[in-house]
Amino acid sequence: MAPPRRSRRPRTVLLLLVLAAITIITLDARGGLHTLTSGLRSVASDAFSPVRSGVNAIVEPIGSFIAGSVHYGAVRQQNQKLQEELDQLRQQQAAQAAQTQALQQLSALLDLPFVGNLQTVPAEVTNYGTSDFAATIGIGVGRSDGVQLNMPVVGSGGLVGQVVQVSHYTATVRLVTDGQSAVGVRYGAGTGALAVLAGQGWGKPLAAQLVPTNTPLTDGEVFTTSGLQGAAYPAGIPVARVVAAHTGATATEESVSLVPEADLAHLRYVSVLLWGPSS
Amino acid sequence: MSRRDVGRFTLVLLAFLVVQETLMLEIRPGGVHPDVMVLLPVLAGLLGGPSRGATVGFVAGLASDLFLPTSFGLSALVGCLVGFGVGLATVALDRTAWWLAPTAALAGSALYEVVYATLGAVLGQPQMLHVSLVRIVLLVSLTNAVLALPAQRLVAWGLPAASAEGMPTSVGVGGSW
Repeated sequence: MAPPRRSRRPRTVLLLLVLAAITIITLDARGGLHTLTSGLRSVASDAFSPVRSGVNAIVEPIGSFIAGSVHYGAVRQQNQKLQEELDQLRQQQAAQAAQTQALQQLSALLDLPFVGNLQTVPAEVTNYGTSDFAATIGIGVGRSDGVQLNMPVVGSGGLVGQVVQVSHYTATVRLVTDGQSAVGVRYGAGTGALAVLAGQGWGKPLAAQLVPTNTPLTDGEVFTTSGLQGAAYPAGIPVARVVAAHTGATATEESVSLVPEADLAHLRYVSVLLWGPSS
Repeated sequence: MSRRDVGRFTLVLLAFLVVQETLMLEIRPGGVHPDVMVLLPVLAGLLGGPSRGATVGFVAGLASDLFLPTSFGLSALVGCLVGFGVGLATVALDRTAWWLAPTAALAGSALYEVVYATLGAVLGQPQMLHVSLVRIVLLVSLTNAVLALPAQRLVAWGLPAASAEGMPTSVGVGGSW
């Protein structure tokens, strides 16, 4: 009787699929497929935009209903009518607080001193990123609103990031905290020394590069975009402020940690600057 | 695969995408959200064997890549590797055991996230290793383990009848994928 053997087909299938995937990754990275993949991403984003809105519209009231039911059950023994009124008032208060916060962010966007005469497009934040491996947000404006790739995005405190994907109605913004983000900045009152702020991931502080050792930096000092020729951002936008700085014994650069000026964890509205390096 | 099979699988893929791109993106404990798309290659490998797991992982990965800011094709690469791996690892096990799907989802999801970050870093995005990988692995693995049983029913409906592909055989039994 012949000994049992395994079929070779699964391994062949795996080999073909791995080769196909590596080919796609390589072509996309080298630009050969980039137009096709960004077109497909744009179509997918536009197609899912109404689905997202529809599902959110359905899910939010259900969530509120469940939350309300749980709350109702907990106080069932108490005065029902008064409790319902209290619940309503609390809901109104919570809604007003959320509306006030949204209004504050919108109002702040109307009067950003660092924007100057640049044209802006206000945008609602629609999601806090589709990947756990990249610090991005989704915004509800796209090409139809004049938004293009690489445009800067700002919030009420300062720089938020840069548009890295854009579809007809939506766009993806890479935050300054993302590991792939690098922003050219100036610091030091009067001196205007140059440095680069590199992102280190969602929720982590920014790291300054090219700051010479023993540079006198004070906590709270704000680094602003450099606006050098060909820079990705216009000059003078606050990016981050210093929270810690020290020089190691054998270090060739000052080790500087900074936190973004814009509150990236609570963004609801942002402004896209209709600006490009050639502007 | 017949047209009906393709239609069923497409529906299941769309259902997973809708859930991922709507409900799951709203859940972000500690800045991390669940990833139910990982369940597709894991469960396809479990139900259909290595090559079906790899193929479903590739297709589901490409669909995921449409919505991700990372390299296009990376999810497809990791998906086919993990689908194949789960199919191969479970081929000798009793696939009807109730605990197998949650266990495979737990281990497969953890493997997926680690391989995803590592390959992403190797392929030119080193910042992918500078994330809270432990937090991501824990959240994605645990949520997928919890969701594995209902998801298994959906995937079983969406895939043609499970085969004994990859089993030791003297004639090389294989699926039609």
